[in-house]
Amino acid sequence: MTNNELGGSVVILLPEHLDPNRKAEKSLYTMNPVTETPESQVNGMTTTTVPPGSALKAKSRPRKAPELQTVERRNWLIHLHYVRKEFDLCKHLIREQLEETRGMCEYANYVQGLILRQEGKIQESFELFQLCNILNPSSVENIKQMARALFLLGRHKLAVEAYLQAEDKLDKPDWELHHNLGVCYLHLKDYDGSREQLMFALEQNKHHQTFAVLAKLYLLVNDVSSAISTYRAAIEYFPENGDLHTALGLLYMQTGKYQQAFEHLGTTLTFDPNNTRAILAAGSMMQSHQDFDVALAKYRVAAQSIAESPPLWNNIAMCFFGKRKYVASISCLKRANYLAPFDWKILYNLGLVHLTMQQYTSAFHFLSAAVNLRPTKGHIFMLLAISLTYLDDEENARQAYEQAVRLEERDPSICLNYGIFLHNHNDKEGAIKMINEFEVRMVKFRHATGADLDTEIIENGAKLASLLGVDGSVFRKKPGRTRLDAQDETVLLEKTASVTDTLKPVEESVCQSPPPVPTAIPELNPSEVPDAGNTAVLVPPMEALTLEEPPAFVSDSSNARGKFLASARLQFQEDESKVTDTENKKETPNSGFAEYSDDIFD
Amino acid sequence: MMTENERWLTAHHDPLAALYTFSACMALADLHGDGESKLIIADLGTGAYNMKLKVYKGTSLMSENTLIDLPTGVITFHMDTTEPRVPAVAVASGSYIYIYKNLRPYFKFTLPTLEVNSAEFDAWSQARDELLDVSMLYEILDSLRQEVGECGLTTRSQRFLMCPDHASQATFLNQHKGFILKRQTVVTCFATLKKSHAEDDAISCLVLGTESANIFILDPEAFTILNSMSLPSVPVFLSVSGLYDVEYRIIVACRNGQIYTLKRGTKIGRPTAELTSQPVGLLKRDKTTIVATMDQNLHSFNNKGKRLWSLKLPAAITCVETLEIRTLGLTLTALGMADNRVMIYRDKHLVDTIYTEDRISAMKFGRFGREDNTLVLVMKGGGLLVKILKRTARFEIEEAQGSSHALAVKLNIPKKTKLFVDQTMRERENCVLMHRVFQHDLYRLRLNTARAYVQSLETSSNPVSLSQTEPLKLSAQVLGLGPTFKLRVELQNTSSTSPSLQLAVIFHCDDRIYSVNKSYIQIPILIPGVIHVAETLVTCISELGISDTVRVFVVKGKASRPLLTAVISMPVAEIFMGS
Repeated sequence: MTNNELGGSVVILLPEHLDPNRKAEKSLYTMNPVTETPESQVNGMTTTTVPPGSALKAKSRPRKAPELQTVERRNWLIHLHYVRKEFDLCKHLIREQLEETRGMCEYANYVQGLILRQEGKIQESFELFQLCNILNPSSVENIKQMARALFLLGRHKLAVEAYLQAEDKLDKPDWELHHNLGVCYLHLKDYDGSREQLMFALEQNKHHQTFAVLAKLYLLVNDVSSAISTYRAAIEYFPENGDLHTALGLLYMQTGKYQQAFEHLGTTLTFDPNNTRAILAAGSMMQSHQDFDVALAKYRVAAQSIAESPPLWNNIAMCFFGKRKYVASISCLKRANYLAPFDWKILYNLGLVHLTMQQYTSAFHFLSAAVNLRPTKGHIFMLLAISLTYLDDEENARQAYEQAVRLEERDPSICLNYGIFLHNHNDKEGAIKMINEFEVRMVKFRHATGADLDTEIIENGAKLASLLGVDGSVFRKKPGRTRLDAQDETVLLEKTASVTDTLKPVEESVCQSPPPVPTAIPELNPSEVPDAGNTAVLVPPMEALTLEEPPAFVSDSSNARGKFLASARLQFQEDESKVTDTENKKETPNSGFAEYSDDIFD
Repeated sequence: MMTENERWLTAHHDPLAALYTFSACMALADLHGDGESKLIIADLGTGAYNMKLKVYKGTSLMSENTLIDLPTGVITFHMDTTEPRVPAVAVASGSYIYIYKNLRPYFKFTLPTLEVNSAEFDAWSQARDELLDVSMLYEILDSLRQEVGECGLTTRSQRFLMCPDHASQATFLNQHKGFILKRQTVVTCFATLKKSHAEDDAISCLVLGTESANIFILDPEAFTILNSMSLPSVPVFLSVSGLYDVEYRIIVACRNGQIYTLKRGTKIGRPTAELTSQPVGLLKRDKTTIVATMDQNLHSFNNKGKRLWSLKLPAAITCVETLEIRTLGLTLTALGMADNRVMIYRDKHLVDTIYTEDRISAMKFGRFGREDNTLVLVMKGGGLLVKILKRTARFEIEEAQGSSHALAVKLNIPKKTKLFVDQTMRERENCVLMHRVFQHDLYRLRLNTARAYVQSLETSSNPVSLSQTEPLKLSAQVLGLGPTFKLRVELQNTSSTSPSLQLAVIFHCDDRIYSVNKSYIQIPILIPGVIHVAETLVTCISELGISDTVRVFVVKGKASRPLLTAVISMPVAEIFMGS
């Protein structure tokens, strides 16, 4: 081994014969004159120096002590290169330093460990920190780094032990230690212990990481209000931290406080206009308020950095859908679907857009793919039933409706659509059952949300009720508008789809078969069915449909917008909930903490 | 938006200057009192030898002094009141501060030694008096190391413990035992502090940070220690303001990632701010401190340690420098970035960017030559670049440049072709028919697939046997270019326990095209999991240059039906011209 060589290198520094005058002074050469007076041990004594030139003679100079270079003499250089992330240089230096000191230089080993950790070689870095700990057992820092390495290796129990050992050695509490202990406990599912440590860490020093972990902890135990208050406290200390604002905004969104959510997301975007999480969340809220252009402007920014995010393209697509640019919408959705082929929401939206485009065959394909991925969602079955209706597959449509009604127990529109379907197929009894069910659900919905359903649905319900001879008084909350709106609808339909005309006659004949038909009905049945379907899909989780409701349907398109918008919004709602799902999933396994924030929207 | 070319002139560019230095190892000062400011660079040479103190006058190297050890920092300061007012140069290196006057070595200051552990001291004195032999000394020191740690010992003990064997330890002891035991420390950073007057050319004290986690303030005239303070960790960057005799404040960034403040009259650093990453640079402003950290952030703290703002930067920071432009009354922050540029911030607003060819390793701003606002850049590759700020340059904060940039970007949405639209129309018109045809064909496809599957199961013509009795897997490989190929068949028993017996591999092919060397290969007992390889040579005998398939059957005993079948499509053989 190189040991002998190294021993040699130390000896080389020695003069040929020993010096009786003991001076461990640097035997160096430019600065010290031959005639230098013996340096006293007085601290800080100065010596006159001599111009360079005598350097080479120095070795043979008799009266010098053997020069021993301090082991720590290059620590500052190693540190400087390390913090500048010049790891190659740093490793080179460390190697030299360790060769010279036979691996006994504590700081060189320490930094080597840190670099290896950055390179992902956790086990090796752990071994180096162990070595540091042997070299200097009194240093708390080494134990902390060992604990950190254990934590990164997923051995949380050992990490906790190491941290506790470090804590014993500390004379005063340390934020970092308690924070990390808290994180370890969190992974060990000791939530109480974790909370205690994190709180303690916060007492020592406020760091946004601690707040974030604490909030995650509260979310894990389903204590949303505490999580919100934690984020609020964090924001007081870090008013410009975009991540905290975003997290809080998303939480507010989840709890339905859209106003606050929007405020915080807006704050994020002021400080960090490129924060993609905030952009997506804020954009989805803008979409729900029909600000499609503003939302698109935001998405444009996000598309720069996360051009491969399926939710982003899905949202963009639904913006175009809202703006009735269906081709662009399909383009974007197909891209989203390409990026995330197993995301049922994208498939669902594709189905919805194709239904709107009256491409019932394509719609059926996407919807059946979606239903295979998510067989528990009633709304997909309803859209499937609608497309099957248009594809003349009565039997399957009926089954799909049955399934939809069974799976989705709250949404009134499914019953309405089914009722219309049954009515059109001369099943009066079934239709009456459905209209009654629709009524019950609608009352419940009003009761639960304090808001009313989309006018169009109510009107269609009223029409169906009158056709069936059922008392539709519930639906006539806004009297005198039925006729008018129906006309608006037709205008709209003709406008949106002049191509539809080919289909229309077929449908009309179908609908006209029911007995005494008021003039309005043909319009109701044929083309409205899918539309009603659309709205229906969207309505359930929403309460705030009031926005679209006020009697301001002067422009024909606003009504349609309302539906599409709602669709977009539902989509987003679900996106949000998905986020939390994945988060929850993620927290159970022992994954590192830093990752989530990135994953959420990708 | 102004580009860097409009604000900065390149005064000098020498990509081959071969400098290895840091911002702390650079200084700008009028060393000769001739009104022309020189650039002083302590060059770390190769990092091991060839360390030099270089002085540039204008674009040329004026003088070079050899340095003995790696320089930690260079500072120019006034140490006396003699006329002409020429500053001295102080170079920190190892445990020493070397003072140069008129570029001639003048003083050498040695850092105070640290207290030696008494047990260690006793051990060495006893060893000197031969009361302890080598191995006993080794044991004592080793146990002492366990107790106080490597860094608590003197260099001599550390080196002694490094000696690998008894003989070298004895030699070491003999060489060193006669000398006094000293524990020395190393300078890690230093700065100046004006003593009693604030003028530019007033006498300054030196402020030193050491590896032993101390801060020393030195008297410039007598070179005695005026004040000594201690910190919980090793100082890395210093920022000093005020007057020693009146009131001063030293802000220190330490290796534990904390920032401490020292004031007149304090002995121990007061924790000011806790960073979550290692500091890369520290700059002092009037009321705030700007810290760049390793996690690509720039933070601003007030004197109490409250974080005023933070910025996330696009790349790692290598060095920081204050640009004090007195003519404009501005104090800017320059950040050397790892992605080959210098970003200049006014508070937290980016006002300028200088792009360079290499990553910046060190920066110094100040008066150079006769030009007041000069930025000297040293590249990682050793290049030297001198930029002069134009007098017309202004650094206005531009509003909302980010959003205008974003608006200009268009979304990349694939356009749909006419074909797409036509197909859409077709679907609208014929959707029911399309759906039915499709469903019909789909059922057919499924039916055909199922039939084919059943058939292959019945005839055992699949390479994976699904029978419960003989679970086997077969894979085949064709090696070579032809006309002779080697067929390699791998057989594996996929059951967990039961071995397969009496197996054989049979090759079957058109005998007009191929001739098979061994068409029947007996397979020994197949143990579960172990892959058995059967090989044979197949020669293409057809001269038509065509290829065909070879069938591989796996049979058991005398059974007439194969267990498995594989069909190998042979490649076209290369034909030998001679044959």
